[in-house]
Amino acid sequence: MGDFIKHPFVDMPDRNPEQVIPNDSLMFTSEEKTQIQTWISRYPTADGAVMRGLWLAQEKFGFLPPEVIKLVAEEIGIPYANAYGVATFYTQYFKEKKGKHVLDICTCFSCQLCGGYDMLHYVEEKLGVHSGETTEDGMFTIQEAECLGACGSAPMLQITNGVFVHNLNKDKIDALLDALREGNVPAFTSVTLPQDEDDLGGNRRTDVTSVESYIVPPVSETLS
Amino acid sequence: MEAKKTKAGDWRSYQRVLLPPVKDLHKLDVYENNEGYKALREVLTTAKWDPTSVTNEVKKSGLKGRGGAGFPTGLKWSFMPPVDPNIPRFLCCNGDESEPGTFKDRQLMEYNPHLVFEGMLIASYAMSIKTGYLYIRGEFADWITLMEEELEKAYAKGYVGKNIMGSDFSCDIVIHKGAGAYICGEESSLMSSLEGQRAYPRVKPPFPAQKGVWGYPTTINNVETLACAPLIINKGGEWFSKIGAPSHPGPVLYGISGHVNRPGVFEYPTGMLITDLIDEVAGGMRGGKKLKALIPGGSSTPILRADMIEGVTMDADSLRDAGSMMGTSGMLIMDEDVDIVSWLRRITHFYHHETCGQCTPCREGTGWLENIVTRLDEGNGQLRDLDILLDLCTQMEGRTVCALADAAAWPVRYTIDRFRSEFEAKCSTDSVPGGGVLETA
Ligand SMILES: Cc1cc2nc3c(=O)[nH]c(=O)nc-3n(C[C@H](O)[C@H](O)[C@H](O)COP(=O)(O)O)c2cc1C
Ligand code: SF4
Ligand code: FES
Repeated sequence: MGDFIKHPFVDMPDRNPEQVIPNDSLMFTSEEKTQIQTWISRYPTADGAVMRGLWLAQEKFGFLPPEVIKLVAEEIGIPYANAYGVATFYTQYFKEKKGKHVLDICTCFSCQLCGGYDMLHYVEEKLGVHSGETTEDGMFTIQEAECLGACGSAPMLQITNGVFVHNLNKDKIDALLDALREGNVPAFTSVTLPQDEDDLGGNRRTDVTSVESYIVPPVSETLS
Repeated sequence: MEAKKTKAGDWRSYQRVLLPPVKDLHKLDVYENNEGYKALREVLTTAKWDPTSVTNEVKKSGLKGRGGAGFPTGLKWSFMPPVDPNIPRFLCCNGDESEPGTFKDRQLMEYNPHLVFEGMLIASYAMSIKTGYLYIRGEFADWITLMEEELEKAYAKGYVGKNIMGSDFSCDIVIHKGAGAYICGEESSLMSSLEGQRAYPRVKPPFPAQKGVWGYPTTINNVETLACAPLIINKGGEWFSKIGAPSHPGPVLYGISGHVNRPGVFEYPTGMLITDLIDEVAGGMRGGKKLKALIPGGSSTPILRADMIEGVTMDADSLRDAGSMMGTSGMLIMDEDVDIVSWLRRITHFYHHETCGQCTPCREGTGWLENIVTRLDEGNGQLRDLDILLDLCTQMEGRTVCALADAAAWPVRYTIDRFRSEFEAKCSTDSVPGGGVLETA
C-alpha cells in the first residue's frame, strides 16, 4: 500500500470528555445575558444568535468545550445538538484549549508564492513546535491558515482571531514574538491603497496609528 | 505616453468613485459632506423614485454582480415576488470574501463603510425589504468592529432604522459575524449560516428570491455590488453604463497580488487590459522577471498563460474568449520561477479543507485531487495520474449541490490543460512503462 495516499478521514470527537470548566464559573453574567437577548432580537428565530453566542463564550472561556456549548445552547434556547453542530462546523471556534496567542499563518496561494511557508517554517523552528501544536509553556499555538483576505500584503498572519500582521519577514516575526511574550498585542494596522499614496500622499485614515503600505513581496524559498 | 485605445478608455485620468480620494471618508460626517446618503434621501423623499424605478435604473446601469458569478443585479432584484405585507423579505450583503486572491471587500468596508450601508438601504427600498443582513467573515473581526461603530452612528442620525429621513420606509441593518468557513460565501450556505445552522448549501431551485433565509424571499449581493447602487442613483444608470466595457460596465476594484512591484487594491473601470494592469497599475513584474501565468479573479477562475493574454481585457466577454472568467477580479500574478505543480497542490489543499462534505463527489473528490497532485508534486506520480485527475474533475463538475466542486475541479483541469508539460516533467520515470497500478488504501 502506498504510504503517500492518505484517504480523507474525519476525527471523531470524544463522546464523554471530562468537564474542564468548573460548574461555579460556567455561567454568563447578567450583562452577557442581556447582550445575547439583544442578538436574539435581531433574527426571526433565536437560532440566528448562536454564532454570536459562541463567539462571546469563546472570548470568555478561551475555547468551547462541550459544557460551554451547552451553556450557549441553553441561554439561546436551542437544542445542544444544533449549537454543537455549528461550533464544530467553523474553524475559528476552538474546540480544544489553545495557546495564549494563536498565530494563524496564511500559506494559501498568494501568500505561498510570497513566502508564506518560509514564515510558517521560521516560526515553527523558532518555537520548536509544528503547525497545529502549542508550545509547552502554553504561550503560542501555530496554525496554517487559508486565505485571510489580505493577499496584497502577503505574507501575513492573524493573531488569535484578531489583528492582522501584514508584509511579514523574519525580523518582524522576531519582534512580534517578543512583544506577544510580554503581553503586547500589536495595534490594528491599516494598509494603504496604492492610489491613495499617489492622490493623498499616504493612508486616508487619520484615526489609525499604525499604517503600512503595500510593498514588493518577498521571494519565496519553498512552496510547501 | 500615448494612450492605447481600450475598453477602459482614458483610464489614466479615471476619477475614483467607490473609493474617492477623500481623507477619513469612513467617518459619517465626512461621508455626509461628500454626497453621503444623498442618493438615499433622493430615493426616499422625491416623487421621481419608487421601488420599480430604482430597480429599472439599476437595470439600465448594466451593473453585474461583483461576487464572482457576474449576474445582472437589476434583473436579480426583479426576481423578488410581489410584496405581501404578511411575509417578511430579506437582503443579504455578502462580505464573506474568502476566495483566495480576493481582498477588495475588506478595503472597501474599511475605507467607505457608509457607501455599503447606503447601498444596502437603496437595494432594500427597491425590493421593499425591511431587514438587511451584512454577513462578514469572522476573520475580519477588526473590520466588523469598525462597521458596527459606524452603523451605530448611522442609526443615531436616522439613516437606518424606523421611518428613515421622515419617510414611511423603515429598514434595519444587522451585522452577522462568521467564524471561518469559505463555503459561507456561497449564497445558500450563507443563508444556512445566518439561520444558525451548519452552513450547508442547499439545492436550487427554489432560488433565494422564492425561498431564502427562514424560507422567505431573499436577495443576496456582494458588498462591492451594493456599493455601486448609491452611485447609480446619484449619477444615473446611463453614466454607469458608459464606464468601462459596455457589456460589463462600471468601476471595479482590482485586487492584485503576487509577483508585482506594487500589489494592492486599485479602482479602475472594467475592461482594463491585463497587460496595463500588470505593467503600469501594479508597477510591473517583481525583479524584472517574466510573467508566467495569472489568475484573473480568484482561485477558481481558470489560469491564463502569459502567451494567452495579449489584448485580453478584464470583463466577462473578453475573459471568456480567452478561456477564463472575471470572478472576483482578485488577480494573482505569477512569475517565471513559479513551480505550477506545487502551486496547484496548495489550491487543491484549500478546496479539500473547505468542502462542507455534503456531496460525495465533492467531499471525496477534493481529497483525491489533493492526494494525487501531492504525489505528483513529490515526484512519485505517474503519467496516467494526469488522466485520473481529469476524469475526477469530470466526475465532480456539475454533479453537486453547490459550485464549490466545480470551483475545485477547474483549477486542476485548466492548469493541467495549460501546463501539461510541467506535470509530465515531474512524473516519476522509474515506474512501469505506461504508468503503474494505482494503489488504493
Ligand atoms: C463556493 C463559493 C464561494 C463563494 N464565495 C463568495 C464570497 O466570498 N463573496 C461573495 O460575494 N460571493 C461569493 N460567492 C458567490 C455567491 O454565491 C453569490 O453569487 C454572490 O454573493 C452574489 O452576489 P452578486 O450578484 O452581487 O455577485 C461564492 C460562490 C461559491 C459557489
Ligand atoms: S459541492 Fe461541496 S461544498 Fe458544495 S454542498 Fe456539495 S459538498 Fe458542500
Ligand atoms: S493568500 Fe494569504 S491572505 Fe490571501
